[in-house]
Amino acid sequence: MNDRLLLKPQRQIGWASWTTFIVAGLFLVSVLALDLSAERLIRLPGQILEVMSFFYPADMAYGWSAVLPAIIESIQIAWVGTIIAALLSLPLALFGARTLFPRIARVVKLISATARAFPEILLAIYFVPIVGLGPFAGALAIGISSVGMLTKLGAEVVESIDMGPVEAVQAAGGSRLAALRYAVLPQVLPELVAHWLFRFELNIRASAVLGVVGAGGVGGVLLNTLRYQQFEKAAAVLVLTILVVLVIDMASGEIRRRIIRG
Amino acid sequence: MSKPLAVVPSPPPRNWWLWGTTAILVIAMTWWSGVGIGFSLSELWCNLAGGHRLLRESWPPAFAFLPRLVRPFLETLQIAIIGTVIGGVLAVPVAVLAARNLTLGPMTWFVDRNFMNILRTLPDLFWAMLFATAVGFGPVAGALALSVFTIAVISKLFSESLESIDMAMPEAVRAAGGNWLHMVQFGALPQAISHYISYALYAFELNVRASMVLGLVGAGGIGMILETQRANFEYERVTVIILAVLVAVLIIEKLSETLRRRLA
Repeated sequence: MNDRLLLKPQRQIGWASWTTFIVAGLFLVSVLALDLSAERLIRLPGQILEVMSFFYPADMAYGWSAVLPAIIESIQIAWVGTIIAALLSLPLALFGARTLFPRIARVVKLISATARAFPEILLAIYFVPIVGLGPFAGALAIGISSVGMLTKLGAEVVESIDMGPVEAVQAAGGSRLAALRYAVLPQVLPELVAHWLFRFELNIRASAVLGVVGAGGVGGVLLNTLRYQQFEKAAAVLVLTILVVLVIDMASGEIRRRIIRG
Repeated sequence: MSKPLAVVPSPPPRNWWLWGTTAILVIAMTWWSGVGIGFSLSELWCNLAGGHRLLRESWPPAFAFLPRLVRPFLETLQIAIIGTVIGGVLAVPVAVLAARNLTLGPMTWFVDRNFMNILRTLPDLFWAMLFATAVGFGPVAGALALSVFTIAVISKLFSESLESIDMAMPEAVRAAGGNWLHMVQFGALPQAISHYISYALYAFELNVRASMVLGLVGAGGIGMILETQRANFEYERVTVIILAVLVAVLIIEKLSETLRRRLA
């Protein structure tokens, strides 16, 4: 009788292991660079739990009277920013499509990549002195920084369309504008709107933090409550923000699904 | 000779009711928001003079300031790396339990799914503010904040990838007598590993961008210098910092994009 034959797949030491080594090395170097002594590391979880316990009874009276208006302001900032971005990005997305405007597309894409690289909050730092403290600066910052991403995604949508209808319109004697109106727009609009809605979801989060640099919204409220260690009030900010964002995410996600399905 | 027959196709019917309500809703919402935030083009126009002055003040950039940025800049990258690694590792169990085809049971799935969605609602700087309060100002708060943020980003995307894998392999592992962990480790994760790497790189991009501004709320990195210079209206220096951030973000994005394309 011979033993049971055990077949094992060969182990490979390939690129995956090397990547793991490199990532682990970078991680260790970074952790050592932070002045994180072992003693402090051990205290950390307890510290976090202790601070968390301060948050417990959320001060909802403050929530309804002071936080909710700030959240509504954040939503308004996000909405206006998204509308600005949608209006600007629609023509840019068309011009950025390689298939329609091969020569301009390159320039448009470069501009949109640069706009995308700016975090909103850095733009807000510039807009606040220009238009003054307040939500208007926030809306402009959100709008400008969203244009970049919406243009890129929009151009990709336009590039992926069926060019048949475009050629058909032009073959029938239609101008380039007519082709855009009757052949391109109907094909891309549903997906563009879905991208706009998705960007609106992201912009709500972005506008929520703009208050940190004085550009309106709920971020300023959270910063102040934490700064003065009013943890119950900060808890109200968190609870309401989570609820409102969850509801808007669900609603917007549902609308997006319906639009894409047609 | 009869006239040529022109066949004009009838335009497709329009759902005016749907279009009308949508348009009215969008316009109403825009109006309400515009008034709410004090949107006014005339004010923007008047304030452009102020903007002009600001631009003049912030130009030319004070490049002499650049050497002082090196250390905070490295700190920023370190925060992003720590956040991505810790968050990336923790995101795996969260994603597995939130994938409908792999999770342990309906209750686990429900709890984990909601946990994930709640994590996702809070923006990165909120986490930074919370951790800065809990563990004190500095890069440790930033690294912790980005860890949580990374869990939120990766787990959502990765659980969707896991839901779309071929279930034959996990079932084969189960049929061969493997337990749940074996099934996940040998049947499920290898199928989605390339997605995972791509999401991790994406999260790293987001984290680099986020880590640049974490300092605004005292969570370490280059943002802290930005905040002090901004508070002192040293706009020539602010310009240098922002330019440096911009260049760094673009480079890292380009690198990560190339890597991701290789993997795909």
